[in-house]
Amino acid sequence: MLSVAICGAGGLGRNHAENFDQIPDTEVTLVYDVVDEAAEALAEDVVARPAEQESDLWGDDVDIVVVTTPTPFHHDYTVKAAQAGKHVFCEKPMCRDMEQAEEMLQAVEEAGVTFMVGHVLRFFAEYVRARKLILDGVIGDVGIARTSRINTLPGGPESWFSNYEMSGGVTLDMTIHDFDWLLWTFGPAERVYSLGVPERMPPIDYGLTTIRFESGVIAHCEGSWADLGQFRTHFDIAGTDGLLRHSSTDMPTLTVQRRGEQEGVAAVQVPESPAAKSPYLLEDEHFVQCVLNGTQPAVSGEDARAAVEVALAALESNESHGEVIEL
Amino acid sequence: MTRLGIMSFAHLHADFYATAIAGLDDVEVAGVWDDNADRGREKAAEYDTRFFPTPEELFAPENEIQGAIVTSENINHKRDVLAAAEGGVDILCEKPISVSVEDAQVMIDECDRAGVQLMISFPCRYSPAFGRLLEMVREGDLGEILCIKGTNRGENPGGWFNDPELAGGGAIIDHTVHVVDMMRTMLEEEVVKVYAEIDTLFDPDLPCDDAGILSMNFEGGCMATLDASWSRPDNYPIWGDVTMAVIGTGGNAWADLFVERVDVWRVTDGTYLWEPYGHDANAEMIADFARCVETGAPVPITGFDGLKAMEVALGAYRSAEINEPVGLPLA
Repeated sequence: MLSVAICGAGGLGRNHAENFDQIPDTEVTLVYDVVDEAAEALAEDVVARPAEQESDLWGDDVDIVVVTTPTPFHHDYTVKAAQAGKHVFCEKPMCRDMEQAEEMLQAVEEAGVTFMVGHVLRFFAEYVRARKLILDGVIGDVGIARTSRINTLPGGPESWFSNYEMSGGVTLDMTIHDFDWLLWTFGPAERVYSLGVPERMPPIDYGLTTIRFESGVIAHCEGSWADLGQFRTHFDIAGTDGLLRHSSTDMPTLTVQRRGEQEGVAAVQVPESPAAKSPYLLEDEHFVQCVLNGTQPAVSGEDARAAVEVALAALESNESHGEVIEL
Repeated sequence: MTRLGIMSFAHLHADFYATAIAGLDDVEVAGVWDDNADRGREKAAEYDTRFFPTPEELFAPENEIQGAIVTSENINHKRDVLAAAEGGVDILCEKPISVSVEDAQVMIDECDRAGVQLMISFPCRYSPAFGRLLEMVREGDLGEILCIKGTNRGENPGGWFNDPELAGGGAIIDHTVHVVDMMRTMLEEEVVKVYAEIDTLFDPDLPCDDAGILSMNFEGGCMATLDASWSRPDNYPIWGDVTMAVIGTGGNAWADLFVERVDVWRVTDGTYLWEPYGHDANAEMIADFARCVETGAPVPITGFDGLKAMEVALGAYRSAEINEPVGLPLA
C-alpha cells in the first residue's frame, strides 16, 4: 500500500484525495495546507492525518506527494518532494515560469522518482477518441484545429485565480489543457500569437491564442473566464479529408431538472454525461500504475514543460501587444 | 417598378440576387450584361429578361435601367463599377469591393464624380440576429466590448475563386470582409492592427490560400479573431457559417446567423442537409438597395465600408508574408 500526502487542500486536492482513497493500491494518509483549517477539514473527510508542519510531507511514511497548491508553489513542493525521494503528482500548469520548469525536471530526474502533471484531457474519452481518429487519418492532414474551454472565473473574485501574477489567468491555468492536447496530437509548436484581457480580472479573463505548429497545422484556442453559464468545451478540427467536431453541451447522456420552490420554475437544470470512472480517477490510476511498475507516465515532464512554454508564449505575446513569439 | 441590370453572372450570388428579385413585387431584372456572352444569354433567358452585348447598350437611355448589380470576378469589379457609373446608375457591388486599396478608391471617387451611389453587398447587415446584437451593443447592454471571436468558414467555392489572378487571393479575400464589416459596424471603429496565419492546407494543389486565422485590434482596444477558412468539407450539410462570440464587461452574446434549419436525411442520395428557413437577407438587401435607387436615400453600406473591410484582408496577407502584425490603414 502506497501512502499519499495531499499538499494543498483546495478543490482539486479534495478531488485527488477521494480518487486515491478509491484506488486499491493507495491510501491518503496526510493532508497539508498552509491554512490549518483547510487541511483539517479535508483530512477529516478522507480519514487522514492533518500535517502539523510542511516537513511532515517529507517523512518516511509518505510515498507519493500530490501537489495541488496555487501554481507558483508547484515548483517548491515538487522539488522538495523529489529530493525527499517522493513520487510526485502535480496539478497543471506545471509551474509559473520556465526557470521553475527546468529545476523541477532536473530535481525529479536526479531523484529518479515518478513525476506526472495533471493534463487530464489525456483521459477524457472524447479527446482520446478525436486524437485517435486524427492519427488514423480519418480526416486526412489537419489544416485548422479550433478549441474552446469556457468557464466562469473560478473561486470567485477573492480567489488566487484572479491574481494574474499567480495564476497567469485563463490562458495559463485553463487553456493549457488544450495546448497540451494539441501538442500531444500535432507535435511541436513553432510560433504563438495571443490576444487577451487578463487585466480585467476579477471578474473577466478571456484569451484567443493562435498557434502555428511545425507540421503546418494552425490552431485557434479560446479560453474564457468571462462566462455566466455552465462550464463547456468544444473542438472543431478540419482536415484535407473531413471534419471532426465535439461540443460538451450538445450531447449530455443525462439531463436533470429540479423543481424549485416557485411552482413550475426549475431551480436548476444540469446536463451531465456520467462515466463509469471520471477522467480524474483514470488519470490517478494511471499515475499509480506508473509508480508501481516504474514506467514513464503518459504525460512526461517534457510534455508538461512544453505546454507551459506555449502558454507563457501566449501571455508574452498578449503582454507585448502584438509580438509573435517564436518557440 | 425599380429596373435593375445585372453585370456578370461570374459570382454565384448573382443567381441568389436574381432569384430574390423575382420574389419582390416592385423590383425587376431589366437586363443582363456579361463578358461571357453565352452565360449572359443563358441567364437572361432563365430570368426572363434581355441580354445586352455591352454595358453601354445595357445602360442605353431607352432601357431605363436605374441600378446595376455587379457580380463579376473580384478583379473585374472596378471595370464594371466604372462602366455602371459611366452609365449613370447606382451600383450594388458584390464583396469584396476590389483587390487593392487604390482600385477601391478609384471606384469610390468615380462614383462620386458621376453622381451615382455605390453600395457594397454585405447581406449579414440584414440578419435579424445581427440587427438585435447591434442594437444591444449600441445601447450598451453588453457594456464595453472587450473581445470578439468570429468565424466565416465555408466550403471551397472552386472556379475563379481559386484563381488569384481573378479573385485577388483565396479564402482570406473571400471570407474576411463579412465579419469584419459586422465588427466595424458594431464597434463604429476601425481595425488598427492585424496579424494572420494563412496557408494552403485543405487542398495543397490550390494556387491560392484556403486556411487562415486573423487576429485584430480595433482602435478603441477591442480585440478579435476571425477564422476565414474554406475548412468545411464538401459534404458539410450547409455551405458554411457566420458566427460571432461577443465578450463584454456587461455580458456575452453569441450570434450564429445561419443556424436556423430543418435537419434532412435523404435516403435516395445518402445526404444529410441543413435546410435553412426564415429570413432571406439577400432579398432584404436588394429591396433596400432598390429603395435607395428609387428615393435617392443614401445607401446604408458604402464604398468606404467595402474598402475598410477589404483593407483588413490585404493587411492579413501582408502579415502572413512577414510573420508580423501589420498596422492599418495600409501605408
